[in-house]
Amino acid sequence: MPLTSSFSKYSRRRPPDFLTFAWLALLALSFASALLTRLALPPQIVGGGILLLALAKARVILARYLDLADSPAWLRGFTIVLAGFSILVFALYLV
Amino acid sequence: MSDASLIDELPGELLMWVLIVSELLVFGAGLIAFMGVRLTDPAGFAEAQAHLYRTGAALNTAVLVTSGFLAAQALHWRRAARRGAARLALIGAAALGVLFLVIKGAEYAGKAAQGISYETHPFFMFYYLLTGFHAAHVAAGAGILLLVAWRDDPRNIEAGAQFWHMVDLVWIMLFPVIYLLG
Repeated sequence: MPLTSSFSKYSRRRPPDFLTFAWLALLALSFASALLTRLALPPQIVGGGILLLALAKARVILARYLDLADSPAWLRGFTIVLAGFSILVFALYLV
Repeated sequence: MSDASLIDELPGELLMWVLIVSELLVFGAGLIAFMGVRLTDPAGFAEAQAHLYRTGAALNTAVLVTSGFLAAQALHWRRAARRGAARLALIGAAALGVLFLVIKGAEYAGKAAQGISYETHPFFMFYYLLTGFHAAHVAAGAGILLLVAWRDDPRNIEAGAQFWHMVDLVWIMLFPVIYLLG
């Protein structure tokens, strides 16, 4: 019954406060990335930190904007793939 | 848990998720290729990257995540039968998408004024290819948001917002690699 399953999906939607929190978290993480590039730290630490913050932002978007917070298996799967991507980028950066 | 129930856990339409995964793979492959080619000339890539307008790109990150927030909020409001608020949020999200393109356009104009093109250095070939392809998605996404603001069935809004969040997600991964990892 497509209609029923759609409405059951609607009911899983997070209340808006979670969205506001996600938005503020994304802005804070973006500000932290910008701040990190201005610190006098070794490039390896800056690079790793930037990728880690990007991964955290991606996870917030997946969980709250794309609503995967209620689908933990999918959220975990996407996070693992994106973490693998970030590790590969970081490894190529360090070479 | 069976495969069927796992797939059923995905919010929205399955085909939209197929599109999201496809786009992430395409951009991911492009960024890995970028990092691979960088190995041939790390100093040249760092020098080329120094010409980028990082502040504008950081501002664009804030613009896109705010736009994504409005798109997500629109879906919530539409499901709560607040159609006017949902439509306004979608129009606001699309307007921020246009602002993203204006900032991006200023960035491209700045490069052109410096005589920088895709032929200047392999870095700029990837820069124009990846950011240009992403900007094309932003333009398409802004149009889709306006379309679903007009045809505002909740399922339409959900699909449009998901496309927009995918554009957001791609930028979140693209920005640090192209602009920050020098």
